Formats: sequence, C-alpha cells, structure tokens
Amino acid sequence: MKRTTLPLHAIAWIVGAFILVPIVYALIGGFKSTDQLSVNPFGLPSPWNTGNYTDVLAEGSFWRQLWNSTFIAVLTTAVTVALSAMAAFVFARFAFRGRELLFTLFTAGLMFPFAVAILPIFVMLRTLNLLDNPWGVILVQAAFGLPLTIIILRGFFRSIPGEIEEAATLDGCGPFAFFWRILLPMARPALATVSVLAIVGSWNNFMLPLVVFSDELSWTLPLGIQQFQGQYSSDTSRILAYLVLAMVPALGFYALAERHLIGGLTAGATKG
Amino acid sequence: MRRTLALIAATVLVAGCGGGQSAAPETDTSGGAPQKVTLEWWHLSTADPLKTVYETRAKEFQAKYPHVTIKMTVLENEAYKSKVTTLTQSGKAPDLFATWGGGVLQQQIDAGLVKDVSADVAPVLDTFTKASLTAYQFDGKTYALPVDIGMVGFWYNKKLFEQAGITEPPTTWSAYLDAVTKLKTAGITPIALAGKEKWPGHYYWAYLAMRIAGLPALQQAGVDHDFTKPEFVQAGQRLKALVDLQPFQKGFLGASYSTPDGQAATVSNGKAAMELMGQWAPNVQNDNGKGLGDDLGFFPFPAVEGGKGTITEAFGGGGGMAVGADAPAEAIELLKFLTETGNHTKAVEKNAVLPVLKGEESAVKDPNLKVVADSLANATGFQLYLDQAYPPAVGAEVNDSVAELFAGAKTPEQVAADITEVAKSE
Amino acid sequence: MTTVTRRPEAATLPAPARPPRKRGRGLLTIALFVLPALVLFLLLVVAPILVAIYASGFKWNGFGGLPTDFIGFDNFTRLFRSEIFTTDLWHLAVLVGLCVLVQLPLALGIAMLLNQRIRGRSLYRLIFFAPYVLSEVITAVLFSLILSPTSGLANEIIGIVGLESEWLSDPGTVLLSLFLVLTWKYFGFHMMIYLAGRQNIPEELIEAAKIDGAAGWKVFRHVTLPLLGPTIRISVFLSVIYTIQLFDLVWILTEGGPAHASETLAVTMFDVGFDRAQVGYASAISVVMFGLSLIFALGYQRFVMRRDLEGATTAMGDRR
Repeated sequence: MKRTTLPLHAIAWIVGAFILVPIVYALIGGFKSTDQLSVNPFGLPSPWNTGNYTDVLAEGSFWRQLWNSTFIAVLTTAVTVALSAMAAFVFARFAFRGRELLFTLFTAGLMFPFAVAILPIFVMLRTLNLLDNPWGVILVQAAFGLPLTIIILRGFFRSIPGEIEEAATLDGCGPFAFFWRILLPMARPALATVSVLAIVGSWNNFMLPLVVFSDELSWTLPLGIQQFQGQYSSDTSRILAYLVLAMVPALGFYALAERHLIGGLTAGATKG
Repeated sequence: MRRTLALIAATVLVAGCGGGQSAAPETDTSGGAPQKVTLEWWHLSTADPLKTVYETRAKEFQAKYPHVTIKMTVLENEAYKSKVTTLTQSGKAPDLFATWGGGVLQQQIDAGLVKDVSADVAPVLDTFTKASLTAYQFDGKTYALPVDIGMVGFWYNKKLFEQAGITEPPTTWSAYLDAVTKLKTAGITPIALAGKEKWPGHYYWAYLAMRIAGLPALQQAGVDHDFTKPEFVQAGQRLKALVDLQPFQKGFLGASYSTPDGQAATVSNGKAAMELMGQWAPNVQNDNGKGLGDDLGFFPFPAVEGGKGTITEAFGGGGGMAVGADAPAEAIELLKFLTETGNHTKAVEKNAVLPVLKGEESAVKDPNLKVVADSLANATGFQLYLDQAYPPAVGAEVNDSVAELFAGAKTPEQVAADITEVAKSE
Repeated sequence: MTTVTRRPEAATLPAPARPPRKRGRGLLTIALFVLPALVLFLLLVVAPILVAIYASGFKWNGFGGLPTDFIGFDNFTRLFRSEIFTTDLWHLAVLVGLCVLVQLPLALGIAMLLNQRIRGRSLYRLIFFAPYVLSEVITAVLFSLILSPTSGLANEIIGIVGLESEWLSDPGTVLLSLFLVLTWKYFGFHMMIYLAGRQNIPEELIEAAKIDGAAGWKVFRHVTLPLLGPTIRISVFLSVIYTIQLFDLVWILTEGGPAHASETLAVTMFDVGFDRAQVGYASAISVVMFGLSLIFALGYQRFVMRRDLEGATTAMGDRR
C-alpha cells in the first residue's frame, strides 16, 4: 500500500523542530557573545566566537566533573547490575517461602524517590562515614536502582526455558555455574538495557551528589552546571557553551548505546 | 561484599563509641613542629572582589602557618543555605563558615554546633563597631565575628529619575509613590524586583513595618509571636498600594536576583529606575550588566507619614564567620586573621565589604558605599533581615507570604495572620 | 522469612534419577545471592523510609540525634488543613491530566508514525528520545534561559505571530510552561515504550485485519490500540508515579513559584525541610507522598493492570 508520506513527514518535522530548536539554540548561542545573543537570538553568530567553548574546556573543573560523573556512573551501574542480577536469579528460578513477599518489598522501593528520604539518607551516610566519598553516592544510587533492575531482570530470567537449566544441570552445572556461564550471557540484551538505565540515572542525578559532596573536587557535571550558572549567571552564552559541552557525553553515549537501549527495551517487553 | 559489610559494621561501631572524633584538636603545640591541620572553610562569596580577597587571605594564612591547609568550599547563596542546613542537621559544622547571625545561628548554637569564641576574641572585640556585632552575640556570648555590615536602601538611576522629572530622592512614602507614578508616566519601569527569590521582596514589608509600627514594636512582635497588630496589616496595605501601581519590570514574579535578566541586571542595564537592595548591590550590578557608574545613587527607605519609625532607622545585616564546635584552634586564628585591622581594611578598600572595625570608614572609596557606611554609622536603630533574625520557619514564612502579596494571592490581613500562625507554632 | 520449601520426597528419596527440582536448592545459595542486594536495600532505602515515618510523629528541627518532642499526628492534620497541600494536589491532578490527555497521545501518535516505513525514521527516533538522556538540571537551566520573558527565545518565536507570554513568571501560565518542558524531555521516552510495544504486536494480526478490509484508522482503533493496552497502562502508571515525585525540574525552574503556582509535593517538602528546618513536618509530607504513590500503585495494579501479564508491564520502566 503506497501512500504519500508528506503529511507524516510534516508532523515528524514539527515535532523534531520542537525537540531540536532548544539544543541547536544552545549550540549556536555558545558561539555568540552574550551581547550578540541579546540582540540576535535567532541568527547565526557573527563573528563566530569559540572563546566560550575553549574557555570551558580549558578549565580543569569541567574535565574533573566529567571524570567524577563517569567514575560514579560506571561503578553505580556495576554494583546495581551485579547485585540485581544475583537477586533476580533467585527470584526468577528458585521457589522458597517468602519469595513473593521479598520481591514485593523490593518493588515497593519504586514508589520511593530518594528526594523524599534525603535527610535520613544523609544521616545514614554520615554514620557509615560515606560523606564526601563517591561511594556514598554510588551505594545509594545502587540501592535505589535495585527495584527496577531486579524487576526487569527477573522477567527476563524467567523467560529462559526450564529445559536449558535442566540440560545444564545434567551437564553438571551448579547454580553458580549456570548463573555465570549460561544465564548471564543469554541475558545480555536485558543487562544492556538495565545498564543503560543505570548509567543515565546516575549521570543525571543532582540532589544526592549535592548533599553528599561539599568538596568541589568531587562534584559531578549536574552540580557543576548549577554552580556554573550561579557563578557566571550574567554570561548567558558561556552557560550555553557549558550546557552543550555537558550534553555531549550523554548524547554521544546515547548515540552509541541506542541500539542496546531500544533492543533491550523491546526484548524486555516481549520476554517479561 | 563481605569486606564491605565488615567495613560497614566497623564504621557503625566506631561512630557509635567514638562520637565526634572527626575534628578533634590535633594541635599539640608542646614540642616539635605542630601537626598538620586541615581547615574547612565554607562561604558564599562566589563573586569578585570578595572571592579573590578570600583566596588571597587563605594563601597568606597558609604561608604564615605552614602546617595549616585550608580547604575552601564556595557555594552560591541557595546551594549554600541548603548545604549548611543538611550538614548542621547531621550534627556537624565546617571549621569556619559564613553566617548571617540571628535566629538561624541561634538554632545552630542551641544544637551545640557553634563554638563560643568569647574568650578567644575578647582582646579584639573592642575593635569592632557595636552594631556589626549584635547579630552574633547571644546572652553576652560571642559566636562569630563580622566581616561585613550594611543596610538595605534604594539604589537608583539618577539619569532616569531626572528624565522623569524627579529632582530629589523621596524622603516620605507619599513622595515615593509620586516618584513611582512619574517614572511610569515617563515610560520608565520604576522598580526591578526578583520575585522568584522571595527575600528581596520581604525588604519592602519589613521596612514598611519598621516605619509604621516602629522598631520596638517589630522586635516585640518577634518575641510575642504576634504580627496581627493593625500596624503590620497597614504595612501590607501600603505595600499592596505600591504593587497596585504595577511598578515592576515585566515578568518580575519569575525573575531571579543575579541572572542575565534578573533584578540586578535590569537596573544595571538601565531598564528599571531602582531596586531595594543591600550594600552589595553595586558589585552585583556591575557583575551582571553594564553598570551605571556615576549615575548610580542611594537613598534610604522613606519615612511613612504618621508612622512611629524614622527614616534614620536602618534595616540590613552583614556577614560574619562562625567557628564550628569541633574546629581546631587554628580556625579561630583564621577568623581573627580575616578580621584584623590591616586585612579587613584591605577588603574595604576593594569595595568588597563595608567597615566593621572602628575607624575604618575612611577606607571606603566608593561614594555610594560611603553614603551607606555613613547612614549606618548615624543610624538611630537597627533591625536585622527578618528572614535571619527570626527562626528559619518564621523567616521563610515572612518571605513566602510577602511574595504572595506581590503576586496578589494573599491579602495584607492574611500575610499578618499567616506569619503569626507560623511564629506561634515555633 | 526465606525458609526453603524442601519437598519431602526430595529430602527422603535417594539420588533422584531426574535432576533435582529447583525448589530443592539450598538456603545457602539463595542467601548468598539475595543478601547483598537485600542488605543494601534495607540499609539505604528501607531504613531511611522508616526514619522518615518515625520522624513524622515529632516536632523536630532536625538538629540533635533523634527527635524527642512527640506530637502524634499533628504534622499530618496540619498538612491536610494547609492550603498549599490542596494546591499541590491540584497541580498534581492538572499535570497528570495534561500528561494523559496530551503528552501520551502525542507520544502514541508519533510512535505509530515512526512505525511506518518513512524515510529517516531511525534519525527521528534518535532525535525524539535524545532529551530523555539529558539531565533535568541541563533541561531546567536551558529552559530557564529560553523561557525568559524579557530575553528568551520562546518569546521571539511566538512573537512571529504576534504573541507574547511571561511563561514561568506568570502564575496563570507557569504550569503549562512546566508541562511544555516536561513534554520536551519525556515524550520521547513514552514514544519509545509505545514503539517497543507496537513492534511486539505480531505483524500477521495487523495484516489479517487489513485483509479483512479494515482501513488504517480502523485497524488502529480495533486491533493495534487494544493490543497496546498493557503498554499504555504502564506508561500512564509511570507518568503518575513520576509526577507525584516531580522535583529537580521544578526546583531549578521556579522553586514552586510564583506564589506557589507551580509547587509540587516534593518542592513543599524540600522547602519545609531545608529552608524552614521543620524536619518532622517535612517527613510527614514525605510519608504522604509515599502513601499516595503506594495507594495509587496498588489500586492501579488491582483495578487497571490486573488483566496484564504480571511482570511484563514493568519491564520497560523508568528509573524513577
């Protein structure tokens, strides 16, 4: 059935413009001076002014924040996925009394954003001596990431046919070997999905690092952005440049992981 | 994982029995080189000239005391407040930290987080002006030393006032309303206001309350938890009359103070004729816009006809530095270092802060700041910012309710009643 | 609570010919696999919740070890009587309503569109989802510049057709502006869920309907839409839960203002807890938010999602 796709394209274009204009505005605005920006918000910069970008890149703080964000995101993901996979394995493939209760306990965690518990968490972290320590952020993020990750992985693990496990057991695989050598490799798409979700969540987290880190050297990018805005509040184009540079890693990562993310989402949806 | 668990268990145990072991004074001076000390210094001076002044002082201090390392945490206003709140609520305070004194400091003192430095600073206490110290003294004890003191008043654009045909800055409220009307008629936005940030708005209500009810009544209201006297309602009504003239810039309800289209920038770029702001206004204006240069002027908040207050009573505050309860002795040294005559006067000369030491007035170079310093020196009464003077909940309610008055969401009567209700609940 | 249900025969019969049933595995394995997650969860999620519930019964400024001034349910009665609470709930209702009536249908429409074989659809997909990966801080800072009533891009754009708005500065438009930003950031996420859901519908079903002579809209209305039911229900679910907890974006954009016109429960909680140092009261708000989420989740699962396969639905969630 062949139809003209023009109206479809038109809609897609309008929505695309709605999404892109702010980003492009930031990108181009970063090349203007703030004075230019106020007289000429729409047009191309004249002259093109790379100073805003190079200034930000020349600042050690930007790179340090980038590194801190990366470090925290990677470890958060590792902890979240490792612990969740283990728990989800048990929830999916073992039967024991209290299993559903325990599982429900975890899922209830979905209802509780850490913003709500920020103060008790703060006190808890202080007791554990984890303030001003990346692990303070990593462990809390991992703890709050568990519910969703466990739900997704359990769904996926359940979908793997029992025959495979029985065959593995016949071959002499214990539960550990089955988990490590068969289940995890099979669950790669699901693991990719939950990893991407964990990375994105950690990367974008604002309030937790805000209360955990008082030392500027530990700040992550979102904290840096907020502080940068406070400090250079008058210099709009410089803020835009900072925003754009802070977007690059996230968008770049997304462009790379898009296939995993979507593929994983789809797989998770069918298999769940 | 098991290691982590052991670690967690261990830290719980340690924290359980050790208590505040974190910043125990490790400065055993008996014999040998003093042990290394790290001082955590928190302040909120993210803008120059003060930012650089503090960086310089920190370097000098470290050079003087090589065993001291200063770890500075500089946060912008809002972030600073939430950060200090969380930290202090968790039972800890930085070694040296910026404070406005008043009810917030009092609460931290009550929680045992702030060091009583009375004895340590006794020798230098006399060098400070009396007014600058009041916000940090409770029951005759001193808990912080001031680094800045100032007052709130109108910062105005002389050129725009001239254009509107206003020859003299108004000294009475009716003359003030006249001036606002004249500016409007001349097509000039009379006032810039940062409605999003609430605290700049509370200055209007506080000053009107001071002028109408009088300083003693305002202070008594804080003690009695009762703001329902007719004078306080009148303050709201006068303010409402001003708001009804629609004197503020476009979008003022969502405007911030120091953003590119915020209150300071609006005045700085000549897009509004005045703002009601503290002594830092010129610096922030220059930081956020073109700056008005010689066109910038200052006049005190006008008197209200028939009111009990006078135009010479000042409303404002400054900034002080307090010492955390567990801080090493070096923190007090740093505090004294910052405020000693030579060092503080240098900051005054840079227009970074106003005099807190006796005889520093001559160091003020900027003519406008000189007016502020002189008005302050000759003030017949002084009231600290209400959002600092009262306990946090009451201060926040003042800001909040007044903000709603500006937005037309609360009546003057409701403002008075709501502040009273919160004050009573404290 | 985690006792293993050993089947009696597995315990008594010697060396079974078949591989042991899953149920028969040892407590040790289960414990080893679940405990790490459980400990972390109890320590950093459950314990803080309990502390919040405990603190909600006290008048407490947050200082000092534990609260002492017990006031029972006073914090809750005070909250339920306060105007701001009603306002917050109203904003919640408005935002959820806008989400369900505008944002989700838009996402669904675009998902159906991108399911067609139009040129460049993977590029579109890439673009539409992009804002989701940006942090709320970036989004908020960017839009606070764009929506500035005096120098923002948004007014320049609508100025072309002679319009003007104060966006976030006007109590009348602030919620809509906020919704605009939310849509910018999150519609791509919902679109992606729908797209995934749509791709799970066997093409044969759609083809069969077409062969039966149904036209495009009818196929969608009577075949695609019902089959997308579970996906739509989960996307509504996620929207509501997210909106109850909405914080970062509002805090940076408006702090709940002007005059509480965009305040959410989480903003009130933060304001009360951090600016006013009324931690007991703030905890009560937390508990109400938690309760609201829980009641909604249970009710929704009981009455709306019960037809859907257990587990299948949550497989595509947002971290929130």
